[in-house]
Formats: sequence, structure tokens, C-alpha cells
Amino acid sequence: MAEISKSDPLNPNPNPPEIASSVRRTTEPGRKRLFVTLSVFFSFLVGLPFLLKSTEIYRSPLPFSSIESLSLRLRSEPPAPPCRLQAVFLRPGGGGGTADQLARLISDEVDKSIGSIPSRGSCGRNYALSVTVDSGNGACERSGDGESGPCYWPCGGIDVLELSNEDGIVDELLDSALGRRGQCLGTGGKIYTVVVAGVEGEEGLRTVLGKHRHAWLVGKVGESDAVLLITKIFVNFFLNGGREEDMAPGKGEFVPVGLDGSVVLSFSLLNANPNDWVYDWDFQMIDDVLLAPVVEALAPIANITTESQVLYHTPKSSISFWDGNLGGNIFSIKDLPFFVNANEWHLDTSIAAAGRSKILHFVVYIPSRNECPLLLQLPNGHISKTNGFISPMWGGVIVWNPHSCFADSQGKHFVRRPIALEDLQKIFQILVGQLRLLFGFKSSYISDDNVDMIQFLTSEKGFTEWELDALYRYHACYNLASCATTLESLSKLVQSLPRMIVMDEIGKQVKYSLEAAGLAQNNTHLGIYNASAAASLQARSLAEDAFFHPSIMSVSYSSLEHYFSIYMPFFAPVSLHLILALVKELARYRRERAKYSSFVAEHAKAS
Amino acid sequence: MAFDIQGTSLSWSSPQAARQLVFLLLVMGAVLTPSSPSDIPSSSSTMHNNNWAVLVCTSRFWFNYRHMANTLSLYRTVKRLGIPDERIILMLADDMACNARNTYPAQVFNNENHQLNLYGDNVEVDYRGYEVTVENFLRVLIGRHESAVPRSKRLLSDEGSHVLLYMSGHGGDEFLKFQDSEELQSHDLSDVVKQMKEKHRFKELLIMVDTCQAATLFSQLHSPGVLAIGSSMKGQNAYSHHLDSDIGVSVVDRFTFYTLAFFEKLNMYSNASLGSLFNSYNPNLLMSTAFCRMDLYQRPLHEVPVTNFFGSVMKTIHTESSYKLVSSAPGVESSHDLHSVGADRLTLEAEADVVKQIDSPEKRAVKIKRKKFDQQSLGDGNGHQQTKSNKSLVKVIKGREDAEASPFSKALLTRKLFTFSKISLIMELFGGKFFRTTCMIL
Repeated sequence: MAEISKSDPLNPNPNPPEIASSVRRTTEPGRKRLFVTLSVFFSFLVGLPFLLKSTEIYRSPLPFSSIESLSLRLRSEPPAPPCRLQAVFLRPGGGGGTADQLARLISDEVDKSIGSIPSRGSCGRNYALSVTVDSGNGACERSGDGESGPCYWPCGGIDVLELSNEDGIVDELLDSALGRRGQCLGTGGKIYTVVVAGVEGEEGLRTVLGKHRHAWLVGKVGESDAVLLITKIFVNFFLNGGREEDMAPGKGEFVPVGLDGSVVLSFSLLNANPNDWVYDWDFQMIDDVLLAPVVEALAPIANITTESQVLYHTPKSSISFWDGNLGGNIFSIKDLPFFVNANEWHLDTSIAAAGRSKILHFVVYIPSRNECPLLLQLPNGHISKTNGFISPMWGGVIVWNPHSCFADSQGKHFVRRPIALEDLQKIFQILVGQLRLLFGFKSSYISDDNVDMIQFLTSEKGFTEWELDALYRYHACYNLASCATTLESLSKLVQSLPRMIVMDEIGKQVKYSLEAAGLAQNNTHLGIYNASAAASLQARSLAEDAFFHPSIMSVSYSSLEHYFSIYMPFFAPVSLHLILALVKELARYRRERAKYSSFVAEHAKAS
Repeated sequence: MAFDIQGTSLSWSSPQAARQLVFLLLVMGAVLTPSSPSDIPSSSSTMHNNNWAVLVCTSRFWFNYRHMANTLSLYRTVKRLGIPDERIILMLADDMACNARNTYPAQVFNNENHQLNLYGDNVEVDYRGYEVTVENFLRVLIGRHESAVPRSKRLLSDEGSHVLLYMSGHGGDEFLKFQDSEELQSHDLSDVVKQMKEKHRFKELLIMVDTCQAATLFSQLHSPGVLAIGSSMKGQNAYSHHLDSDIGVSVVDRFTFYTLAFFEKLNMYSNASLGSLFNSYNPNLLMSTAFCRMDLYQRPLHEVPVTNFFGSVMKTIHTESSYKLVSSAPGVESSHDLHSVGADRLTLEAEADVVKQIDSPEKRAVKIKRKKFDQQSLGDGNGHQQTKSNKSLVKVIKGREDAEASPFSKALLTRKLFTFSKISLIMELFGGKFFRTTCMIL
């Protein structure tokens, strides 16, 4: 208003006609027009933040830097959980090298056998070795600083002769001698022990690998041989869990765990042709008695549920032929890929298995009468002992032949015959062998004659403790790596799409995933294998949940280009006029002002 | 206004663009930068151990009968060659068989001789009718589903999978129409393939498209391990093969017809190569030039059997021996009795005690476990199932329950979603329509 009242006095003083005004100007140009234009323009600008605010897209802040540091850390130094190795020489008579000498010998050998790049989940070079020489009568020598703890070898605790007992008894004896089930308090990883007992009288050498965390050599053995054997046991079995390098060519091949960290073990009994015979099983018994310890042992690496079903009318899809010499219908190894008849075997009927969980199918196939007995022939012409095979990441199949293939068939339809308990046990033992194969172990060591005559004790859990340790370590490392890459992908995705909604839930999942990953790393570092496997599983499944969050899908529909294409039609015409008006007015004002100042200068000169 | 949307890269281009909002007009030029090539290494070390197929018919309405017949024929072929139904995702408008105009009710034929009813037994359509949308299609490929979506509707492939993606419908330059209401752009496809690769959802992917200008759909792909084949080059139309005068419409497209003719001679043991399939396309018969993009694919085509994609491969390992569970140790079996469900509980509690005794660093780690124990024993109905699930020690940390959004944040989310849906509505009005017109003109 002030502007207007100021300019009012100018009005009585009429401006000269246009032609004259273009030449000179006697009055100061008014700022009213400029002010009006500017005020409109600025009110427009003031509105802009409100617009931006109203069209803002909610993005929960993600900890990009911690994700990056996690993956950098994992990449620069892959987690190597620590292990502690202990070699014990029982020498009642004394003599031989000192503990320190032996320790040096063994650690040289171990270093030599470990490859330069340790396989995933192996302790690699992150091990501590101690050697104890127990000469009986309390005379005991330890290598290094003589570390003794509740779980190291108690000197004089065990007599040499006791080791000549039955394997199972010795195993439990050593277990109780070496502290509570080898579970040591404190950190630094589990302790693996090899006991060498030089018994003079005995001929030959007996090597036994127990189901806990120790092995023992009983018999006559030279020092250098003992060192080599100890090294072999340490490296192949205790550090690597007996997993062979070529067993895991691709990563993830032997990690049959769903992205949500769960596994459904689905057991199916298939009656190929129920018109011939119908078999049934007491799965509840298997589940309660045989399966429960296995599931419990695997609990840290996956959330396992089990279910079973009996199916009928399920012919196989490969062809078999009668072989009189072998007395059965033969199918060979090369037919195996076509054995599973996916169109007739409705295996995936689980309602418990949620979207991203993994189902491992274990199929017991009972052939029909005209293909009974059905035998699997190996490439060397022999008949398979197990009649079974696995497919990695899918599950396993066993062909079980009824005892008599000439059963009564007419008239007695659908009489359910239960599979006998001992048969079930045999089947189940093959199933456990298949489960072990699926997780990357050997199905068993019993038939393996070339492993230097080492005897292996088996555990009722399906996996020995040292195998489980290796499995936990492997899964912890695998899960951590997978979690890091998933989070990295997610952060790349989120950063590349500035117009993407990021829900709070995703932010939380990422945060908890990182926390769990930190915990897992910590536990790995401390050597608490099962806890690190469990935490890393958590980290991985949370990261997957965040990445696969269904809300992320709307992205492709809301890019920056879309944003512009929506608002451009509204604002481009208006802003164009505003800017044009502003420019025009500014130019006019400057022009008029220049004229006036030239007039003033002229006037001053004239006066 | 020059909206050159055809040339824009949809999503991966410029992360800082939000800050440049002020330079409204400048940015319009800036976002036109091409997508950066992918740097993901191929996981060639993994073995090929399973096969998946995603078959999509993107058209609906009676006059597009042939597209459904195409897709169903492919479905029949891959099933015959061994891919099981549970590994086939079939997306179909499915409005032909029971269409009032169909003179052969509940039957679909791909040939005027009416020898083979494609809509016979055991056709499992996973996405049907209006479920066949671009969004669902992308969700299937990436695997981002609502948690309630059943397994049969998901592509549960892994890094050892070979995936066949077949699409048939109407398309144009760098787009494919979905049921006359949406488009799948070549950028969407390449983005989704890139994310699939990143998440190891396939080892090798064969994309086969039967539309007009199919080759343009592959122009943005840059993930290794992808092989793409289309029925026609840019500027070419893909034609139907023949008209069935009984049904009154064309029943099959040329490209698919000759593909099927190739496969009719094969069974699941056959080892005809992809190279021979691609060489079998005769431009004179197709009346278009089949285009194959193989610069992203490492293996030579004449060495790859077609059954690698159209059939099912199962890698098998013989089980050498069983694992003797009977331990020789005395007194081990005693803890497990036939009817000792309660004993499981005891073991569990004993384990919890062990947990308590462990010193502090370990305690932190196992805390999660304990929490789970407590929770489950509260609402435990003593049933065997529950006891069993108790044993699956670690499932969720408390965080995940927290993540189930408090009422407040839920409200916030709904509001955001509302704004968002408004925007997308407007976008539909302006952007969407604009897209369509541009595409159609081009």
C-alpha cells in the first residue's frame, strides 16, 4: 500500500507519450509492477516446499554404511572360527621326543596339509595346538606354556590298558575324562583330541575316530607315523569335518536351507500300484524315536519340521528290465534322472511349508508286482546296497522291495500291511545316509576301506559331534556371506531408486539382520559354533525378508520420470508465465531506471 | 513438451536425481543416461540341477484365441518333456475354453485338424484371468510375494535352475501388452532379470517371445546367462499360422507353430541342440526373422540340448551306504523310548540349564534360544507337534515381532500408501496414457 500511495503523486504528473518516454524519463520509475510480479513469484516459490512435502515418499532410513562395512569386512577377512587341537601321547615307559618337539612336528605337518586358501567353514590356520606327553605316575609334560584347563588332558587320568577296551566304552571313557562332553568353558573354539597310546604287546595299529571330539590310536606306532596320522585326522576330519572339497563345487549346493531359514523334511511312502499290495508305516514311531535326535542336532542350522504321507498309484517314469542272473528288475544309474515321476508323484502337498521354505523330499518307493524286486545296478555291474539315490537340494529316493514278490493279490484289496520295524530301521538308516549326503557329508564311513583303516563310531544323532561342529561352522560362514550380499543388493536397489517407498518394517528387518550378523561374527570369533550358526541363520533370513518384502514391488511404477510427467502438466505452463513475467518486468525496470539516471545526470550537468 | 519416455532408463540410472529436483528441466535430460552394464559374475560353478518354466499368455478376448493356444501348446510340450506341473508357472487369461463363441466347449485346439485338445486333463493354471498383470508377472520372476501366496504360485528356482520364460501376446517397440490394459517394458524386464541374477534365482534363462517386434524387448538385457529369442525383428510383425474356419479365428502363431513342429519329433531322452532349434526357423515360413540374442550366453548353442530348458534335468548321486544309527555306546538308547513324548520336554529343559551355565559371551548368543523356549512353553498344549517345534530352537528374534508394525506406524504407512495410490492414479491418467499413445505411435 505504501508503494501505491508513494506512486500516487506521480499520476497527476502525466507521463509523456510513449515515443517521448522511450527517450527520457524525468521521474524515478515506480516499483509497483515489479513488486506485484515478485510477490506472485515468491508466493509460488513458498508453495513449492509444500508441494514437495506432500508428494514426498516415505523412506525408512537404512544403515547403508554399516551394510557396506559388513560386506567389506567379510570380504577382506572371511570369518575363520578358531579350533583347538590337542595331541596326547601316553607313554608309560617314557622315552621319545619331548612335547615341544612333537608340537613343532605336528604343526609343521598341519600347516603343510592345509591349503593356502581354507575352504569355507574350516578353521584354516586359525588353530592352536598343544601336545601332552603323559608318562604315567603323574609325570606329565605339556608343550608351550603348559596350558592346562578342565578340558585339556587330565594327566594320569586314564590308564593305557583301558584304551584296549571296546570302542564304544573307550569313547565314553575319553569323553568323561576330557571334561563334560568336550564342551569347554571359555573361548577359543572346541578342543579336538587325538590320544596315542603305545602298547608294546599289541600287534598292528588301531585307529578309532569317536563320535565326540576325539580319536585314539592304540598299538605299536612310530613317532613319525603317529605324527602323520594325527595330522591327517586333524586336518581331514576335525578341521574340515570330513567334507571333501569336490563335494561342494558351487556355493550353496549343499546348503538345503530355505531362504526363510526353514527346512521341511517330507517323508513319502509310495505304493506304485495298490492293486498289488498296500504298505503302511508307523511314521510316528520313526519320528519320535529315530528322527528326533537328528532334528535336534540340526536345529542350529535350520528350523526343521517333519511331515509324512502315504501315496498310491505312483508309477516311476523310467524303464526297468528283467535280468535273470541277478534275479530282479534292473534299473541303472543313467536312468536315475528319469526315475522320479513328477507328474504322478504329488510330493509337494505340504501346507506347513510357507512360501520360501525348503522342502526336502524323502521318498520310499514300493514297486508294483510286475517290477518287483526292483534293483539298482551300479556302473560296475554290482547291485546297489542301498537301492537309493539323492538329488542335491531336492531329496532322496529309496526303492524298498517287499520280502515276497509273489504275495496274494486277488480278493484282498487294500489290506494295509505295515512295514516291519527292522525294515523301517534299515530304511531309516539309508534315509539318514541320504540326509548326510544332502548336507555335504559322506553317507557313512563304514564301507570306506581306503581311509587308512580308520574306524569311525557313529552317533545316534546321524552326525558325530565333530561333524556337527564343521557343519555349524560352514553354515555360519555361508549364511554370513549370503546375508551380506543380500543386504548389499538391497542397499544398491534402494539407493538407485530415489522414488521408492521404504517401509519401516524393512528398516527394522535390516537393522535386526545387521545386529544378528554382528552377533554371529562375534560368536564365530569366539568359537561358539552352534550359536554363531543360529545367529547367522537369523541374519540371513531377516535380510532375505527385507529384500523380498512385497512392498518393494511398486518401484517400477514410480520412477522420477513418472514424477515429472505427473506434475509437469500442472506447473510448466504456470511457471513459464511467471518466469517470463518476472524477466520482462525486471528488464523493463532496469531500462526505465537507466533512462531516469541518465536524465538525472543530464539534469545535474545542466544545472 | 518433449517427453521422450521411450528412451528413458526406468530405474537404475541416477541415484542423486532427487537432489536435482530444482533443476527440473535439466534433470529431464540427465536421466536419459543408459543403464550401467552389470558387473555380477556368473555363478558358472554351480551345477544345473533343476528346471523351471514360466509360460505367459498376455492377451485376453476371443480374437486372441491363438495366444492362449500357443501358450497351452508350449505347456503341453514342456510337460511332455519332463518339467513337472509344480515347476511350471502358467499364466493364462483362460477365457477361451468356456467362451460362448467357442464351438468346441471346454476344448482348445492349436490346429484346424482338431486332433489334439490342449485343454484336456491336468492343466494347472497358476495365474488366471485378471491375475495376469505386469505386477504379478514381475512378482513371480523376482519372488517378492505376499506371505500368503502358496508355493504353487511361486517360482522357487535357485542358482542351479534353468528357467524357460515363454510369452505370447501383442507387442511393439520395447513393450509387450498385458491384457490390453498395461505394458511390460523392456526396461522392466531387464531390471527384473538383473535382480533375479543378483539373487541367484537362475543359472541360465531362456526368454522366448512370440509377438510383433519381439526382438526389441531384449534390447535392455545385460545380465549374463540369459539367452533370448524372439519371433520378429524391430519393425516386423509376427503372423498367425492358419485360420480355423470352425472356430472362426486363427488358432496358432507361425513362430510357435514351427517351434512345436520341431519339438513334436523329440522325446525327453533326445539331445537335439538349441542351435538346431534356432536354425530350424525359416524366415520364409515365419514371414518374419527370428532373432536370437546370445551375446550374454556363454555356451555354444550347438552343444546345449534343448532339454536343458524344455525338459527336466535331475542331478542324482547314488547313496553308497546307510548310516548305522545304533550306537555301540552303552546306555544311549535308554533316553529315547517309544512313548516318551514327555521326555523330550525334559531334555529341553536340561538344555536350557546348560545354557544358563555358560559364561557371559556365550550367554548373549544363546539368549535368543531361551526366549524362544519361554515363549513356546507358555502356549504349549503339550501336543507332540508343539514339543517337536520346540526343538527347532531358533526361529525369530524378538525384533521380528517388533517389525510387525505398531498401530501407529501402521496408520502412518496406510497414509503414505494412500498418497502413493493417489499419485499412481494421476500417473495412470497422465503418464500411463501417455506411455500407451507413445508406444502405439512408435
